[in-house]
Amino acid sequence: MRKKWISVLLSAAMCVSVLTGCGGNGAEGQAPAGDTADTKQEQQAADEQADDQAAADTASGEKITLQFWNVFTGSDGDILREIVDNYNKTNTDNIEIQMDIMPNDQLQQKLPAAIATGTAPDFVLFGVENIAPYVSNDSLEDISDFWDVTGVDKSNILENVLELSHVDGKLYGTPMQYNVSYLYWNKDLFEEAGLDPEKAPATMEELAEYAVKLTNPEKNQYGLALPTSVTYMQFLWANGGDADDPDTNTNLLNSEENVKTLEWLQDLTVNKKVSPSSITGPEADTMLQAGQIGMYMSGPWQINGLRAQGINFGIAPCVAGSAGAFSPAGGCSYVIPKGTEESHKLAAYKFMQYWLTDDILKEWSQRNGFPVWSKTLMEDPEIQGDEVLSAISKATEIGRSYNLGYSLASQIDNDVMIPMFEKVMTGAATPEDALKEASEAMDRVLAQ
Amino acid sequence: MTGSKTKKRKYVAQNQKSAYLFILPSMIILSVFVFIPLIASFVISLTDMNIFMKDVSFVGIANFTRLFSDNRVSNATFNSFYFTLLEVPLQVGLALLLTVCLAKNNRYCKMLRSIYYLPFVCSMTAIGIVWSMLLDPNMGLVAYWLKQAGFQTVAFLKNPDFAMPTVIVVTAWKGFGYTLTLLAAAVLNIPQSLYEAAQMDGAGSFQKFIHITIPGIWPTISFCIITTTISAMQMFDQAYVMTQGGPLNRTETVVQYIYDRGFQTAPYDLGYASAISVYLFVIVAVMTFVLRRFVLKGGEEGDA
Repeated sequence: MRKKWISVLLSAAMCVSVLTGCGGNGAEGQAPAGDTADTKQEQQAADEQADDQAAADTASGEKITLQFWNVFTGSDGDILREIVDNYNKTNTDNIEIQMDIMPNDQLQQKLPAAIATGTAPDFVLFGVENIAPYVSNDSLEDISDFWDVTGVDKSNILENVLELSHVDGKLYGTPMQYNVSYLYWNKDLFEEAGLDPEKAPATMEELAEYAVKLTNPEKNQYGLALPTSVTYMQFLWANGGDADDPDTNTNLLNSEENVKTLEWLQDLTVNKKVSPSSITGPEADTMLQAGQIGMYMSGPWQINGLRAQGINFGIAPCVAGSAGAFSPAGGCSYVIPKGTEESHKLAAYKFMQYWLTDDILKEWSQRNGFPVWSKTLMEDPEIQGDEVLSAISKATEIGRSYNLGYSLASQIDNDVMIPMFEKVMTGAATPEDALKEASEAMDRVLAQ
Repeated sequence: MTGSKTKKRKYVAQNQKSAYLFILPSMIILSVFVFIPLIASFVISLTDMNIFMKDVSFVGIANFTRLFSDNRVSNATFNSFYFTLLEVPLQVGLALLLTVCLAKNNRYCKMLRSIYYLPFVCSMTAIGIVWSMLLDPNMGLVAYWLKQAGFQTVAFLKNPDFAMPTVIVVTAWKGFGYTLTLLAAAVLNIPQSLYEAAQMDGAGSFQKFIHITIPGIWPTISFCIITTTISAMQMFDQAYVMTQGGPLNRTETVVQYIYDRGFQTAPYDLGYASAISVYLFVIVAVMTFVLRRFVLKGGEEGDA
């Protein structure tokens, strides 16, 4: 009998020790985030219990704790944290926001599962391109009543910015920031190459011409960085081409204009070698900050890094082709996952309202170099006098929406557009062949 | 008589019960992390399910028919085999070669074995990041040295033809120390008397290696080949960190494509991703089966 008891005890002890020991290991191998997700869920469950109590007592001014996930892993995340901390200290509604920053791909893995199991955060901040897929899976709250509930003046926000948070006429998010791609240029390198440092290229011909002049392989210096992991809609649009029409589900790839644009792009990268071959976006960012890149098209998030590295840079709109100049628009919005309870939804509205005040929007624009889209703020003399912000506002005028609000957008990018541009830019296929292959891939995606 | 017999039987039965208790912990862990996910992925592969897990519908083998016409699956399969067929011989061969020199228990050999083992202790992510920085054609140290030495810079991880071989070499560099340790331990277990007897018969060192060392450690070698092959077929982190599957999908392996379909590209098609997992599972199972038969048979022949 005694032996039996000992064996039971021993195996129980083994069970416990092995389980606790393996919790971390197993999760580590399977999914990098699994481990933290578990503890977070537990923590969240605990919080939720506390929150339920809080919700019951809101009337008497009890504390509401909001879980807030976002993807601001860069230096802008520090500024966001400051603003949120400040809100926690100063708000009179007894709201406390607990913020959790994670890389975008991690958030995209965790959020849908969290929504499905009822453990989602109370509100989330992510790129507007995500709104449509989430809405088509019924995973976001319709917040069309936001304006009535909070009394925020809708007409003070630029129409095109607000449009990014709508799906089928319903509001699913409130704008947090808006941006397009700009053309950055290094003034010192322009001067060395004998170009006018104050004049950015305005056309595709000029861009190519300058890029060649700025390229110097001896010094590991390149005229124009063109990463292969992104799309170049601005070039296709500039010559009058396009990829697809999300409203009618039509494939617009097969066109003379696109062939012409891709030939131009292949000539630049394969023959003239103005860009380091096969670089990624983050690598191009680093090289730009190291002063090895003459020109680069990117969003406002470059500005702080360039300032910190002391690069003498300018910002201009993307270049024009035969059909004009365009730049793909993007942005981030605050959204509320489906299933967030009413009292927390209203508390999140309060923070969104706080964000949409001119003071906060101004601080965000000035410190991060993001364009201003509040009409009253655009009149602000301090904003108008800011050299970088006025250059950006000008460059933002040519913003054009690319597949935003389209649930197939990410598939079109990953399966059709990025491979096509990569093949053209590495010389793996002729522009005609790459376009033909991409067009077939596009048909397959659109047929879904 | 009968009484003692039942007693004995009872004792055996009791003993078995506690034996089950002892394997319980492992069984729980294996079920939670291996068996249940395995069965779940078989089931999910027959459905149309995305990561939001709404509107799940049964689609039969539609995901599998789609799989066989998807050229990224065939590309990824090719890459996985390319990687495995080069990486496994390189890692095991290199380890075997060094075993010959380092299977002595003096201080020098012990130190070298420890040094070779070091990369294996580090995480693949850290190693991947370090190597991609070193090999970067624009900012990397290796490119700088090559340039100083008067050679043309090679874009190791950016060139479609060089990317996979580079990933293979880095992986083998990380793993061969582990194989070496296993092989060296096996070699040290071979009775010294066999070598002495061979010497008396006039065998040279090469003959001793072929006729004594190799047969003596064959079970360990076959273990190394099989485990390295399985992990090579499941290669993910090194390419994910160093090349993200590029350039031109030339380093995209099956596991990476599964990850891409399931978690990177909307509509996060878990059904299709699971179908590819099942496809990979079948390939690995068949390969392991064939390898076991072939490799173990080889060992028997070696013994004879």
